[in-house]
Amino acid sequence: MTALAGATIAGTAAALVALAVFLIGRKAAHVPTTDPQKVPLLGGGAPETHAWQRYHVRYYSMTLLFIAFEMEMMFMYPWAVVFVKEGAKAMVEMGMFLAILSIGILYGWREGIFKWQ
Amino acid sequence: MAVAALRRLALRGPVPVHAAIGTDALAAVDDLSLDPRISVQQSPRHAAILLVAGPLRDEDRSDLCRLHDQLPHPRATVFWRTDPAIQIADPPVVSVEDDAAATIASVYRSLIEEGRPSEPDLQPDTPPNPWRGKGDHGQGGEGMMGGTPYGRPMAMTGDDLRDGLQLDPYTAEFGPFLPVFPPGLKLRITLQGDVIQFAKVLRPPLPQEEQSGPSAALRRIARQLRLLGLTGQAARALRLASVGDGKAAGVRRLRRLVKWSGSGQAIPPGLGRVGGADVRDRLAAWWEVASGETAEARAPDRTLVDLLPGLEWSEAMLVLNSFDIATLTGMCPIEKREDKAHSEEEKDAPEPHDHDGHQDQMRGAA
Repeated sequence: MTALAGATIAGTAAALVALAVFLIGRKAAHVPTTDPQKVPLLGGGAPETHAWQRYHVRYYSMTLLFIAFEMEMMFMYPWAVVFVKEGAKAMVEMGMFLAILSIGILYGWREGIFKWQ
Repeated sequence: MAVAALRRLALRGPVPVHAAIGTDALAAVDDLSLDPRISVQQSPRHAAILLVAGPLRDEDRSDLCRLHDQLPHPRATVFWRTDPAIQIADPPVVSVEDDAAATIASVYRSLIEEGRPSEPDLQPDTPPNPWRGKGDHGQGGEGMMGGTPYGRPMAMTGDDLRDGLQLDPYTAEFGPFLPVFPPGLKLRITLQGDVIQFAKVLRPPLPQEEQSGPSAALRRIARQLRLLGLTGQAARALRLASVGDGKAAGVRRLRRLVKWSGSGQAIPPGLGRVGGADVRDRLAAWWEVASGETAEARAPDRTLVDLLPGLEWSEAMLVLNSFDIATLTGMCPIEKREDKAHSEEEKDAPEPHDHDGHQDQMRGAA
């Protein structure tokens, strides 16, 4: 019963906060945003296209390399704990895992990650 | 009550001002920014007062209207050293002799305390293009490329300078009141990410007084320091520029401070090489001039539109602000000067793929 009462109180409080935020937001935004206000800051100029567009995330290859090595370490710590108990089976598993990750590293190599530009 | 308390707080601080700088007014606005009653903001969004300083060209007026409408309410415009350039009821005009900071402060006070009405938009409240698409909620046509959400066409793909990848270029007209640009300069720039693919000069910078001497060099150094993020040192350079003689010791101290801050390393070596001197060399020459020595002037052998493509935005801003206004104007020839009426409409930019429908819409709106 007390658990139900607690849940009711918490739910009501959350609803009140949500309502307050909603009402304050509506009151604060009583000045409607006009179209001339929606222009990005270009010092008087105007954009020709919408700002929603695709651009190249050029650091993606670095991210790939980071994840490849980080995943290795994440698996290696628990693996090191059970390695002595499990023996050869653990060794083979780690070999498979490293083989998969090294494909990612080889791909990165092909993309030129290791070149300092 | 809470609003009244906020009002009192707003009045206690310096007045947030955004400056639209015209002819012969850059140094005056720099000096004004040192006034403790004023805080010059880099964005109109953070300002309550639009300060129009110095006379403008006729073609800048529509840009000024666009800038004016970007200030949040309550807002007011103050004209300094110029006649009112745009249609505003009861505009405060400050002449050269008057104390601009005092006028700005009193306009701000009346705006906040005494119920001076906030200025309405100067432009109609309509999107730049019709944008109601085919979808249930007015969204566009087919796929990513469909429609013109909020009146702006979606970008089409174009080749990247670096590797020819076809992603979306962003083309826009920057200036003539962009704070990081020299006043009056208006460029049409095509960007991929933050790398400039193509630049075209639409309007050259406006002429400014005092192009040589230690004070002018210090003002230019201050602009460069602000770009490097050293706003405190920039203010120091401006204070040094506004005093008359006997500033050599101060300049030496400031130069040492800036050197030891290591921020000079943020300027890539070889950036913006013109006439054998890069941005670092030009900055060093200004320091020489500022401390009373003479530096040899090099004639520019390249135009601005050759210099900018391939640079990242931050590098391009360093390059733009590494020339004095007269040199930069010499580097900004407007192509087809005789065909002036159409020079802003025509496009030499590498044509994006399959952009015809949008182009027609944009032309129709213009």
